Amino acid sequence: MVVRRRIQGHRFAESPVLQLALQGWRSRMVGLVLIAALGLLVLRGFYLQVINNDFLQEKGESRYLRDIEVSASRGRIVDRNGDMLAVSTPMKSIWAIPADARQMGLAQKQQLAALLETNLKELDGKLGSDKTFIFLKRQVPPEVADQVAALKLPGVHDEKEYRRYYPTADMTAHIVGFTGVDDKGLEGVELAFQNSLIGRSGARSVIKDRRGRIVEDVGALKPPQDGKDVRLALDSKVQYLAYSQLKAAVADTHAKAGGVVVMDVKTGEILALANWPTYNPNNRESLSGAQLRNRAVTDSFEPGSTLKPFTAALALEKGHVRFDSIVNCAPGRLTIGSATISDAHPHGALTVAQVIQKSSNVGAAKLALAFPPKDMWEMFDAVGFGQPPRLGFPGEVGGRLRPWKNWRPIEQATMAYGHGISVSLMQLARAYTAFARDGEVIPLSLVKRDEPVVHGVPVFSPQTARELRTMLEMVVSPEGTANKARVPGYRVGGKTGTAHKLEGHAYVNKYVASFIGLAPISDPRLIVAVMIDEPAGAHYGGDVAGPVFSQIMGGALRTLGIPPDAPVTMAQAPIAKEKL
Amino acid sequence: MLMSALDAPRRQVAEIDYVLLWSTLLLLFCGLVMVYSASIATAEGGRFTNHQPAYFLVRHGIFLSIGLVAAAFVFQIPLSLWQKYAPYLFMIGVLLLAIVLIPGLGRDVNGARRWLPLGFANLQPSELMKLFAVLYAADYTARKMPVMHDLKQAFLPMFGAMVVVGMLLLKEPDFGAFVVIIAIAMGILFLGGLKARLFAILIVGLLAAFTVLIIVSPYRRDRVFGFMDPWADAFGRGYQLSHSLIAFGRGELFGVGLGASVEKLFYLPEAHTDFLLAVIAEELGFAGVLAVIVLFALLVQRAFAIGRQCVQLDRLYPALVAMGIGIWIGVQSFINMGVNMGLLPTKGLTLPLMSFGGSGILANCVALAILLRVDWENRQLMRGGKL
Repeated sequence: MVVRRRIQGHRFAESPVLQLALQGWRSRMVGLVLIAALGLLVLRGFYLQVINNDFLQEKGESRYLRDIEVSASRGRIVDRNGDMLAVSTPMKSIWAIPADARQMGLAQKQQLAALLETNLKELDGKLGSDKTFIFLKRQVPPEVADQVAALKLPGVHDEKEYRRYYPTADMTAHIVGFTGVDDKGLEGVELAFQNSLIGRSGARSVIKDRRGRIVEDVGALKPPQDGKDVRLALDSKVQYLAYSQLKAAVADTHAKAGGVVVMDVKTGEILALANWPTYNPNNRESLSGAQLRNRAVTDSFEPGSTLKPFTAALALEKGHVRFDSIVNCAPGRLTIGSATISDAHPHGALTVAQVIQKSSNVGAAKLALAFPPKDMWEMFDAVGFGQPPRLGFPGEVGGRLRPWKNWRPIEQATMAYGHGISVSLMQLARAYTAFARDGEVIPLSLVKRDEPVVHGVPVFSPQTARELRTMLEMVVSPEGTANKARVPGYRVGGKTGTAHKLEGHAYVNKYVASFIGLAPISDPRLIVAVMIDEPAGAHYGGDVAGPVFSQIMGGALRTLGIPPDAPVTMAQAPIAKEKL
Repeated sequence: MLMSALDAPRRQVAEIDYVLLWSTLLLLFCGLVMVYSASIATAEGGRFTNHQPAYFLVRHGIFLSIGLVAAAFVFQIPLSLWQKYAPYLFMIGVLLLAIVLIPGLGRDVNGARRWLPLGFANLQPSELMKLFAVLYAADYTARKMPVMHDLKQAFLPMFGAMVVVGMLLLKEPDFGAFVVIIAIAMGILFLGGLKARLFAILIVGLLAAFTVLIIVSPYRRDRVFGFMDPWADAFGRGYQLSHSLIAFGRGELFGVGLGASVEKLFYLPEAHTDFLLAVIAEELGFAGVLAVIVLFALLVQRAFAIGRQCVQLDRLYPALVAMGIGIWIGVQSFINMGVNMGLLPTKGLTLPLMSFGGSGILANCVALAILLRVDWENRQLMRGGKL
């Protein structure tokens, strides 16, 4: 009322009614402007949410729609019968955002450390990192990861990954190889077949929050393509045989190392490949270089007498001599220039076959000196010396075969019995297919071959090959150098090798004892090559490698169900004894 | 007092403005739900919240309870009392705005000094100042009604007060509160009858100033008008707005569903305060946004209707207070929502009654209680009752 009186007191020309209080149009206008402004928001909202939402959603998707990789599981590696050699099992990796994980209380840290099999100090060390992402532990079993997740620790997360498991462990270590933590093949078949084993990872479209966590799965863009299985030519039973026999032999002879290759003559498939020393691919914590070496493939050595059959075969092939031609090996020595070749046991006159049977260096040298270096080089080249066998293994070597133009006569003579030339055990085994297969050398295969017959490169005539098989069979006769290589029930043949080792530029009193053989002689199916490096004590190939060959060849023939071809009388007694 | 009114035998008219009451309660409740939804990820992922998902929900609930209790109390206070103490409240407000600037007393967050720590919570004087500005500007205008034609007497004193308040607010800085308080003061002066020509001059002057700004300083122009194209610098200055707009776009008509917002997952900063509407837009869609706008429009409409009722009842001060509250809620909600939708440059301003923030909720509740009181007093008078 006071107000009103004052207003009246100051009245001027305006209408008293209007001046009494507020002008109605003003409040109506202000109210209207505000409501209109809010109405404008309705229009704007409609534009953003209903009309222009495609554009905005697209912008949004570019911010938080992410394609994530869906890892394909790595292919398995199986043997020819489907037995597992390498499989991927799902595991988890535990990772952390250190800044968040430092929030953990002492009790939580202790629980985590216990689950991860580490100690508090080490855990604290990792969490002290100034990185935004660290692995606490990789390859954790899923049940342990679940326990960690159940603790609901701040900043600790897990992620799916695979662990490669090798059921056959050290038995197949060198052939199968292994992978690193990122599913990358590092050795052996795992490395050689990496591209087909790895598969192709797929992609999913997900919505991630700003901290990178997946909050919604939108859908699959591309399904993952799992890696293809690799079916090896390897036969687990034969491999076991080869591995265990080699292991025992190395132990018995206190040798430094050893290697065995078992090969199918018909297909060129590698049925077994064992080396000693080996390792357990499932636990590679203390691994040495020596254990890792796939010696049969990556190491070359001077093969010694196991090359003599090639010299003899070339001599037969060229028509210089016949099977029963006489070679005078007396008096057990042969001087060429300033160098002298000698036999371990002096022989008199020997037939060509006997040169092989008795393993005469002099005889082999004499046969070799009868033909030009080029012929000999071409034969060595044809059987695959000097070039890697191209199995696909990492680090395959081709050995050393020097060009024939530089050969001096003494060199040609020593090469006739396997010195001055180096090969790997794999090359040597492959070269023997020429004798096992009527003269042709065939390509090898690590993986199972579907077609049984392959055609190789003819090196010798079938006639020569047949004659060589007879010679090789004579080697295991009581008069030969490797009577211990006999296999009951089967006709076998082979050749011993006892090579001095070359250290630096001089031969030392260390040996490589070897035996390469084939069976059954009537229709060869298998080649077994055995190499024992630096046996202590007895060092002759026939004594050291021969028995190993016998065990492996006999077991392999029976395992593969190959019918015996030896005369019944010879075969019966030992088999009967075994059955007892 | 309220109870006795309800018990009154004659009941052809409602005792209070139920539209206003329910609109207010609905906005408060939706605010609580949406603050929880918008903050849950931030709260769970944040270290300062101790990873408690309900951190903001609990606090907002407490503020809301305090606000409602305060509102019930304030409803009992007659408008005459407010008018009597309005100048003192205004002075207290100015004092608080000054105190907040004192180093050691005011609390610094992200370079802005807007809060006074009270131990259990922080007081934001600028939020209270909005209420005090309404109460004081209405009192001032009511007193100056006789001299409204005289620019010197009617406008300059208020202009001086606004310069002081404005400078204190810009010093914090709190540009949003500055705009709202200036709008309240100018709005009430305009309603009070201050010469329309003055406002025309002011509007022309502002436009001219903007034009000059654009011509002389491209850098400032970019700062002010950068909001018009947030995609030009989407990961820099336009980051917040671009994410807000994406939230609107994702919401479509009916939203992605309550709780299903992606933008609130650390993409959109201030999702539970300044950009709450963006989360509403994403989760509840255009339908939710429309509902919020309609509720605010109802509040504004009721405030002005109540104000006009006062005019008819010859109640000048309550009329200006009611319409002042209408201007406050209308302007602040419009600016906040306009910012969310990219219509206005991004300035820190909360959505009244809904956003997280204790001082804001308290001031809003008290303001609405005063509005309801004005209406209640009107109804009493219309029934022939006395105050």
